[in-house]
Amino acid sequence: MNNLNSLARYLTLILGLIAVLLTCGYANAVDDGARAYWKGRAGTNAVSVQHFNLNMQASDALQFDPAHYIYPSADVDADIVVASLARHMTLFDRPASVLVTLVQGSVDADFNVSLTPPAFLPPGVVPNATFSESSSGFADPAVQLDVNLLGTPPLKAGFDLMNYEPTWTLDVAVMLGIPVGEYDDDKVVNLGLNRYYGRIALPFKYHFGAFSPGYMKSLEIVPSVWLFGENDDYVGQNLKNEPLWQLEAHWTHDFTRHFFGSIDLLYRKGFQSEFDGVDVGDDIEIGDLGFTLNFQVNDNLMLRTSISSNVFGDDDIDNSMVRLQLIYAWHNAMENMKKLGSE
Amino acid sequence: MQGKTEEIMRQQKAVTYTFASNLGTFTVSLCLLIGTCISVLPAGALAAQGSKRPNFLVIVADDMGYSDLGSYGGEIKTPVLDDLAQQGVRYTDFYVSPTCSVTRSMLLTGTDNHVAGLGNMGEMLAPNQIGQPGYEGVLNDRVATVASLLRNGGYHTYMVGKWHLGLKPEQIPHARGFERDFSLLVGGGDHFNDGWNIEWQIPKGPYTEDGQPVEQLPKDFYSTKNYTDKTIQFIEEGRDDGKPFFAYMAFTAPHGPLQVPDDWLRRYKNQYDEGWDVIRNRRLDRMRELGIVDEGVSTAERLWFLPRASMLAPGVRVLQGRKMELYASMVEYMDDQIGRVFDYLKEIGEYDNTVVVFFSDNGAEGNDLMALFSGQAGTMGFLHAANNFAEAGHNSLGRKGTFAEYGPAWAQVGSAPFRLFKGFVTEGGTRSPLIVSGPGVQGAGGLNTGAILHVKDLTPTLLELADVEHPATYDGRDILPIQGKSWVQMLNGEAQSPRGPEDWLGWELFGNRAIRQGDWKISWHYEPYGIWDWQLFNLDADPGEQYDLSGKFPEKKTQLIALWDEYVETNGVIVGNRSIHERARKGLPDPVPEFDNYPPVRGLEAVPHQKLIELLSQ
Repeated sequence: MNNLNSLARYLTLILGLIAVLLTCGYANAVDDGARAYWKGRAGTNAVSVQHFNLNMQASDALQFDPAHYIYPSADVDADIVVASLARHMTLFDRPASVLVTLVQGSVDADFNVSLTPPAFLPPGVVPNATFSESSSGFADPAVQLDVNLLGTPPLKAGFDLMNYEPTWTLDVAVMLGIPVGEYDDDKVVNLGLNRYYGRIALPFKYHFGAFSPGYMKSLEIVPSVWLFGENDDYVGQNLKNEPLWQLEAHWTHDFTRHFFGSIDLLYRKGFQSEFDGVDVGDDIEIGDLGFTLNFQVNDNLMLRTSISSNVFGDDDIDNSMVRLQLIYAWHNAMENMKKLGSE
Repeated sequence: MQGKTEEIMRQQKAVTYTFASNLGTFTVSLCLLIGTCISVLPAGALAAQGSKRPNFLVIVADDMGYSDLGSYGGEIKTPVLDDLAQQGVRYTDFYVSPTCSVTRSMLLTGTDNHVAGLGNMGEMLAPNQIGQPGYEGVLNDRVATVASLLRNGGYHTYMVGKWHLGLKPEQIPHARGFERDFSLLVGGGDHFNDGWNIEWQIPKGPYTEDGQPVEQLPKDFYSTKNYTDKTIQFIEEGRDDGKPFFAYMAFTAPHGPLQVPDDWLRRYKNQYDEGWDVIRNRRLDRMRELGIVDEGVSTAERLWFLPRASMLAPGVRVLQGRKMELYASMVEYMDDQIGRVFDYLKEIGEYDNTVVVFFSDNGAEGNDLMALFSGQAGTMGFLHAANNFAEAGHNSLGRKGTFAEYGPAWAQVGSAPFRLFKGFVTEGGTRSPLIVSGPGVQGAGGLNTGAILHVKDLTPTLLELADVEHPATYDGRDILPIQGKSWVQMLNGEAQSPRGPEDWLGWELFGNRAIRQGDWKISWHYEPYGIWDWQLFNLDADPGEQYDLSGKFPEKKTQLIALWDEYVETNGVIVGNRSIHERARKGLPDPVPEFDNYPPVRGLEAVPHQKLIELLSQ
């Protein structure tokens, strides 16, 4: 009988498909990504490297990352690389995962505040000015802990995965950004934030049909709130921001055993800025719509691409994003089974 | 049940048959606790009890194993059939053919398959059998079906489910005696509305309704449910004229692909993760408690090419167990739907006037049908399978478009206590559970271990109960006489078995062959299933066919081989010059005796399943 070999193949396939989660990167101007909170067997590791290019034009207060403040009336072009390491585990006998993310990149911004009413300008900025600034290097690293609350048993062994047929699940995820990234207090554009920030999310998803490669479908909704510390040296000013409320949603669908796609929605509102106690600008409101295609190259490797653009929200913002991502996942037990099977 | 018979049945406490197998003798004890001494009622008298003759409901499961029903020792929930067994009688030695169409040919004609046209399955004819009488691959014109005779005798005749006895207009159920039908003409396929056939030559399973092709199955079609719906519909629409009915429910469950409606998919979740050995042993224990298997007799060992389940990783057991879960769900679903028919019959007041017969068409299915029909990459069969049955994800199994089979390891559980399964003339391939209940069936709740019965007995039994003669000619042509023996005297308690010590039964299929007379049996199988020669077994002591007694009783063997020669001569048997089993030796290891403690696994057998999971989860 070929049971053992077929099991090994099957489990490695599951491993590959599910280990994509949590490597999609949250600390960006983009969403967590489709199937970001799918569960993997405890002990599964996944490394992800993604590059995205973000282009924005705005005539009002604008942020290219939930934690960043960028001048209004800006034209921003950002090339960002995000490297992530995720590990699945159990915590209090619940499925859990921890994710560490490093961000590196460069940002170029051109500002023309000639049309910006003075009341919307932060202190220190001269009306009618036109100037450019750049920043490159590491951004602030972040760490996230996700714990499933309902809907998923602890996935400790291969047979747990085989018995796993989720319907709906609910997680709680807590993220913390640590302000050690590149920061120059003379610049209005920086990759580091010079302040702590974080996010609390309640990822919810519902699975339709057979939980089987080639047939998986899911609706995923991730409401969350970003919270920001105080930047006490933003071009000599004190910067505060109100919380940013975010709703992310995906409809995912398997096209084949090794290929799925999703329609992605990202909505953000809030982030009112305050400089030295004075409100500047308005809340932002951005609604992005896009899609993702995800190819499983082999048992371990996945290739993913996403495209999105804002389609509603503030009229004066225009942005677009293209993302390319490689994910490599493995579990020691599966690798050992493959070793044994190949000899 | 009508009038006096009903009264008699109320007064009767039990009629039990016990078979003192170790002594080779049987005793019949008739226990009447209250009242009237029952005189045995002849069939004509049975028919005359009420205002009309009895209805017949013949229910055939497809590829169901001997030990699956609760009343035969199985853990599968079959409350309806278990209840039927309490109302009627179970039989332990009821024989069918090793495969489906062959059995059906005998069921419907009362003759041997080799004369009825199914000397071999139509799909498997050997070169030297093609064109020979009895090897038409369909029900031929030398026989008349029981449906035809009953219809001419004043019965409504209905059929639902699998036909598998011919595709041409003159060969389909409507042409062979069934006035109403909803039939799948071929041997199997997708149970949902896709209706894919397992054979590429006829990619969509052809269905007929009342003799007309069914263009499109309903969107919510599921074989077992729709067959049940149609049965009820036919009976309802035909009952105004007061004629009795013969309804033949030929379920296609639990034939592969193992498929059930979504809400039945996880009905047995993880209940088979312990593996086939544990489940089989539990069944054997229950069979001994029920008296189906005698204490101390030899039962078949695990087939030599199958692993001990306790040596498998838990994940593999989950993978394998899932298939058995689906199988069990299919059986329970069928049981549930049979209950719908019974409820309906009770509702219209016909249940007590209906003789119900339930059995399986052959042993449990342990062959790899998918491999058999899909063949090698690059063939049409493979292309058909790839297009329509290829989905095999663990959590997809059981749904539309999947083709799950549970394989030989679970089939031998279904076959317990016997050896091998469908396709072989071992007891595992040819013995089926049998429950008969209804008016005139004496011995409610009893177990008859002494009768040797055969599926070709059914036609003469029904004809006798209906007071219908089997003619010498039918529709202007000569027809062959019935070979089966009526059970009527047995059913009404006058005899323990329709067969005496000198009577014998014969089988031949795919070149495998067997003769049973009394407790003795000879069989011939291709290697490695057999020895490519005759073997002799004593079924009384060795129902598992483990010990070849050829050397010890050579005269008995010679005597039975002579009966085989007679069987060949009488029925025109042509042993195929090719067989699907002829190359089995190439794909399987040589058989060796199986011992549970060899090779030793350092106490693994003693580790409880849950503990094993915990250990391996670390």
